[in-house]
Amino acid sequence: MPSFGDFLMQNLQQFWHLTGFYNATWQHFVMLAVGLFFIWLAIKKDFEPMLLVPIGFGILIGNIPFNTEAGLEIGIYEEGSVLNILYNGVSAGWYPPLIFLGIGAMTDFSALIANPKLMLIGAAAQFGIFGAYMVALLLGFAPDQAGAIAIIGGADGPTAIFLSSKLAPNLMGAIAVSAYSYMALVPVIQPPLMRLFTTKKERLIKMKPARAVSQNEKIIFPIIGMLLTCFVVPSGIPLLGMLFFGNLLRECGVTTRLAKTASNALTDIVTILLGMTVGASTQASEFLTAETIFIFALGFMAFIIASSSGVLFVKIFNLFLPKSKKINPLIGNAGVSAVPMSARISNNLGLEYDPSNYLLMHAMGPNVSGVIGSAVAAGVLLGFLA
Amino acid sequence: MNKKLLLALIALFACAASINAQGRRGLRINEVMIANDSSIVDDYGQRSAWVELFNSTFAPLEISSVFITDDPANPTKYPVPIGDVNTKIPKRQHVVFWADGNPTKGTFHMNFILVPGKDNWIGIYDADGKTLIDEVTVPASLKANQSYARTSENQLQPGADAWEIRDRWTENPVTPSSSNKIKDTNDKVDMFAARDENGFGMTVMAMGIVFSALLLLSVCFYIISKIGERASKINKAKAHNITLAATDKESHPSHDSGEEIAAIVLALHEHLNTHDTENTVLTINKVKRAYSPWSSKIYNMREMPRR
Repeated sequence: MPSFGDFLMQNLQQFWHLTGFYNATWQHFVMLAVGLFFIWLAIKKDFEPMLLVPIGFGILIGNIPFNTEAGLEIGIYEEGSVLNILYNGVSAGWYPPLIFLGIGAMTDFSALIANPKLMLIGAAAQFGIFGAYMVALLLGFAPDQAGAIAIIGGADGPTAIFLSSKLAPNLMGAIAVSAYSYMALVPVIQPPLMRLFTTKKERLIKMKPARAVSQNEKIIFPIIGMLLTCFVVPSGIPLLGMLFFGNLLRECGVTTRLAKTASNALTDIVTILLGMTVGASTQASEFLTAETIFIFALGFMAFIIASSSGVLFVKIFNLFLPKSKKINPLIGNAGVSAVPMSARISNNLGLEYDPSNYLLMHAMGPNVSGVIGSAVAAGVLLGFLA
Repeated sequence: MNKKLLLALIALFACAASINAQGRRGLRINEVMIANDSSIVDDYGQRSAWVELFNSTFAPLEISSVFITDDPANPTKYPVPIGDVNTKIPKRQHVVFWADGNPTKGTFHMNFILVPGKDNWIGIYDADGKTLIDEVTVPASLKANQSYARTSENQLQPGADAWEIRDRWTENPVTPSSSNKIKDTNDKVDMFAARDENGFGMTVMAMGIVFSALLLLSVCFYIISKIGERASKINKAKAHNITLAATDKESHPSHDSGEEIAAIVLALHEHLNTHDTENTVLTINKVKRAYSPWSSKIYNMREMPRR
């Protein structure tokens, strides 16, 4: 029988083998640095803090080294662990529709209803998705993986998570982090492109203020919108159904309490869980691969194509419009969704060239149609490839 | 209030019934073996004819109270018993019923047998005993240990209703209680990988669909807005007791820009020389305002409309 001293040493040695210090690898430290960088970006630079703080901290949680063979049931991929239960909302894809419910309950579609032709800008910006899809195929990704990566071009985090959880669950962490990173970088990525593709004369185009939209139209919009889009793309029901449902709660005027809950408390709760678990899912072994680098590169390219195609589409569209109804191409970038950040970029750039040219409300049209467009595109990819 | 509640309940039950009916239509006869000499044995170690049913939907399907029969004149011949948990078929899964004429052996043993050497008709009817869900006639040419099976379980594929004879030692083996096609890849992904290597086809199709969906929505709301504008004009005309033409004129004044009106007023002021002793100079200057409701996030995203 071992002595008491040996007994203590044996247990302490066993405990040492369970600690993070013993199990750490250089990959863990790289990921911890990535997590800290995200938190720094969010707090110091104010880049999408609501998303990057939970994701950044999630990366820290998910990359604490531990002995996976000890059966502690603490890892996010270990069935039955607390993190695994929370992660179910991501892996089974039910967090993103809840976020869409909140987005619907927050968003005023008036700008879009007042000027329905702006919806086409939201459609044009989806070229980013399919441009990236083609390049991803060239790089050797399978069609389902290429579709999951390309959806980053939709600039819509919940849609990206929803689609990648269905088409390429193994790439979801990298796709989600990439999508949210680029959404945070919209103010850096988009303005140079908008300047590049527009002339000074075009940037000064003043659009007529949108007409007032009646409450009846606002109530009809989510109902007709849901029916039409879901009849065309039934695979988009989880996202589009919840988006329009949230909007009906907001606009009908008799469910204010529900709309407030959906747009505030519920969205906040789901955002916390979604961000944290997506961050925690980026474990070093899954994340630090060559594929992740490709995903980030493809995501960046998708963003550039999407923003550019929105702006260029407006320029082409203007060729067919009378002089009094020309659209300022600075609102084209807003077609990539990233609500409302990209619309604010349009507004800020418009004000830079003409201090009296407020483009925000006009840009909100393509901005929210971009949300619808990316959900439709995700539905199409899901229908074709799942 | 009670009437409303009653109507709501009726609507709810109607929906529930339709959902159930819709699900049952997803039940398919998938594979049949008439003469079983060396194929699978039942839970009593016996070999007999079998009928494989397939839940082609993506939701669990409860098949108790469905009828299986070999006689069109007697559609309620074998009722699948109620109360057995095994009658709930998980999504896209299969169950085998034994045609051994011995229902006392359990839920999956039917009260009729299938006879080799002649055409055997098999049908499944819904719980009402009238609605035919699926049927198949197994040809008399089927030999021992051969099965008669659907070529595809994917209802969206062409030829999904085609049947073929399967044999244990061929490329298309007998597959009781499992899919007729052993799947290790995703057919759709394989098809796109083979036929659309560069992704151009996907891009054209998907962008076409995205544009169509949003164009449809756009046209729909253009029409709705026109109807709304017309209705509001009619209401306005009625309220002011004027004709519709008068409201049109009123809503389209020749000068509606604030800047234009200010310029006209200024010109008139100068022309009429009504300038008196004040030394103020009236002019029009554009001013930059950092804040405006047009640039306000709170008006755009957070404000809740109230009735």
